[in-house]
Amino acid sequence: MANSVLNVESLNVEFNMEGNYFHAVRDVSFKIEPGETLGLVGESGCGKSVTSLALVRLLTQSARVTGKIEYQGKNLLDLPERDMRDIRGNEISMIFQEPMTSLNPVYKIGAQISETLLLHKDISPREAFQQSLEMLKKVGIPRPEDIMDEYPHQLSGGMRQRIMIAIAMACNPKLLIADEPTTALDVTIQAQILELMKGISKDLGTSILLITHDLGVVAEMCDRVAVMYAGQIVEQGSVDDIFFNPQHPYTRGLLNAIPKIDAEQKQRLQPIEGNVPPITRMPKGCRFSPRCMHASDRCRAQQPGFFQVDNAEHLSRCWLNEAKEA
Amino acid sequence: MSEVLLEVKNLKKHFPIRKGFIRRTAGYVRAVDGIDLTVYAGETLGVVGESGCGKSTMGRSLLRLVEPTSGQIHFQGKDIMKLSKSQMRDMRREMQIVFQDPYASLNPRYTIGQTLSEPMEIHHLHNSTARKQRVQSMLERVGLDPSYSSRFPHEFSGGQRQRIGIARALVLNPKLMILDEPVAALDVSVQSQVINLLEDLQQDFNLTYIFVAHDLSVVKHISNRILVMYLGRMMELASSNDLFADPLHPYTRALLSAVPIPNPRVKRERIILQGDLPSPANPPKGCVFHTRCPLAQDVCREKVPEWREAKHNHMVACHLV
Ligand SMILES: Nc1ncnc2c1ncn2[C@@H]1O[C@H](COP(=O)(O)OP(=O)(O)OP(=O)(O)O)[C@@H](O)[C@H]1O
Ligand SMILES: Nc1ncnc2c1ncn2[C@@H]1O[C@H](COP(=O)(O)OP(=O)(O)OP(=O)(O)O)[C@@H](O)[C@H]1O
Ligand code: SF4
Ligand SMILES: [Mg+2]
Ligand SMILES: [Mg+2]
Repeated sequence: MANSVLNVESLNVEFNMEGNYFHAVRDVSFKIEPGETLGLVGESGCGKSVTSLALVRLLTQSARVTGKIEYQGKNLLDLPERDMRDIRGNEISMIFQEPMTSLNPVYKIGAQISETLLLHKDISPREAFQQSLEMLKKVGIPRPEDIMDEYPHQLSGGMRQRIMIAIAMACNPKLLIADEPTTALDVTIQAQILELMKGISKDLGTSILLITHDLGVVAEMCDRVAVMYAGQIVEQGSVDDIFFNPQHPYTRGLLNAIPKIDAEQKQRLQPIEGNVPPITRMPKGCRFSPRCMHASDRCRAQQPGFFQVDNAEHLSRCWLNEAKEA
Repeated sequence: MSEVLLEVKNLKKHFPIRKGFIRRTAGYVRAVDGIDLTVYAGETLGVVGESGCGKSTMGRSLLRLVEPTSGQIHFQGKDIMKLSKSQMRDMRREMQIVFQDPYASLNPRYTIGQTLSEPMEIHHLHNSTARKQRVQSMLERVGLDPSYSSRFPHEFSGGQRQRIGIARALVLNPKLMILDEPVAALDVSVQSQVINLLEDLQQDFNLTYIFVAHDLSVVKHISNRILVMYLGRMMELASSNDLFADPLHPYTRALLSAVPIPNPRVKRERIILQGDLPSPANPPKGCVFHTRCPLAQDVCREKVPEWREAKHNHMVACHLV
């Protein structure tokens, strides 16, 4: 589609560690369409956060980023930092896992939301204050007038996360990147926040890149899903493709490893043996081959590319899908 | 049902809140506020509830790792509240606890072998050769290479450390294991390895588990019965299947409906609780849940609901059930 909100092509991120560069993200490509929620899932250390930080160019200096991140006809990687600052927090905004570390502890809530608005919009401080108050109401903060005047430490984790959403949504962004927005919260509070995010994307047409390791959250929130393993996307497709016709052994492994809350009868869990490799010791061939029960000699020697599964949108990076494609 | 292993009556733990220069007591955090429980030999009792509802404090109180404010605890018929410090230490051979953070709970300067031997040394069990043998066989039993005994904790992954924590709890051959969020810090693939291990060990060693966690799918998978806590109190207790098939308490219903299900075609009616957890230093009067309960009536704001058997083996504390 020509009018994707974001079009990421062959994104690579390498970190310099003691003189050598190692890939934390390798050859990652995906699109995000208007109004859709794309889930990015995978275990700890597989490169989800590095990918999201690369999109908004917030990685440390030691990172080398190459590839294309196309947004409104421009490659974000080529923009001067000044232009990037105009986009960040305005057209593309972010929510991170730890709300406490992303709010400034010495500023009042009202000031923090107003600041974002004043930075990106041509409005008076008074208007900014009014709009901030409106945002607090929108995200369901009780006593919004009082809260405007309070500091982050006076709020609960769930309220802080709602404030983060208010700030992220203040400028009505086209894309919201949410990195584990509910992982630190209790399920009842998580339910409030997910409901809120759903409502916002529906009402305002905001696209969401939702990063999580919780497959339940993915099933509930996402239209499409990209599964990451060891710095690569190994499978992507619609949420139905991923849950009802998973192809890649890693995707299947993840789905089999979690207990099914709606199972009638208790089934023994099927773990994936082994661990995610560190970026300094990526296996040769298919990166999943050391943990894969289907691995052949070819898997251990040669990296598979993407193969199409049953529809053009459903892709799997596994040699087993080669035969099926042909 | 099988024999009673642990009997708890009206267990409370109130932490004093100290204020000012002279550290006078300005109030109490009612972390655990009246727990009555019977735990049967060989079962797994799951404990769920939101952060801060007192799950860990309850677990620690049962071993008197934090001293209960009041209540009775009988373990194998023995009133352990009456035991002296040293008698209690002996008792803990039979009652072990495994914590969430496998790293923080291992001494970084001890080799794995030393870590596993230490409990046996404290309890003067076996001579040093027999201790070494037991360490090796325990490591093997939890799926680690016996040669690891000469290594240090930082050399291991989270899942391996949790296996070490479990092995350490097991070397004394306990009857009861309190597992406080044992898999919360682990990735799903490793989490499932550890859960399977716990299930196997329970079979082999005839263990009784109290399994504390906030992940309801995991708790349902591993538990025979489940206790739902809120603000230090018991809301509901039933068999795992019954609790999920027929939750009676409005809090349990909200909790279960909030769990995201990994199936995109399942559409559920979700009960969204308004507001946040009240402070346990100042719990609401009447039913502690009434400030967030979608069904609350006048009676809920005034009277503490009684803990009663609403169905066979299904306990609940709610005026409207
Ligand atoms: N600044 C950095 N320098 C070197 N390596 C890094 C840096 N940041 C991340 N990494 C490595 O890159 C890999 C991917 O990390 P990332 O934080 O993206 O994982 P993640 O998928 O977000 O995991 P989690 O679920 O734990 O948040 C990891 O192996 C990590 O150690
Ligand atoms: N040593 C202590 N001194 C004072 N208050 C405490 C102490 N330990 C726990 N508390 C308080 O008691 C309450 C219950 O805490 P506890 O750790 O038992 O909760 P929990 O259910 O285990 O929560 P989580 O799911 O976050 O682990 C909390 O309000 C906590 O702040
Ligand atoms: S390419 Fe081979 S090793 Fe990799 S996932 Fe497929 S079968 Fe397994
Ligand atoms: Mg991350
Ligand atoms: Mg706890």
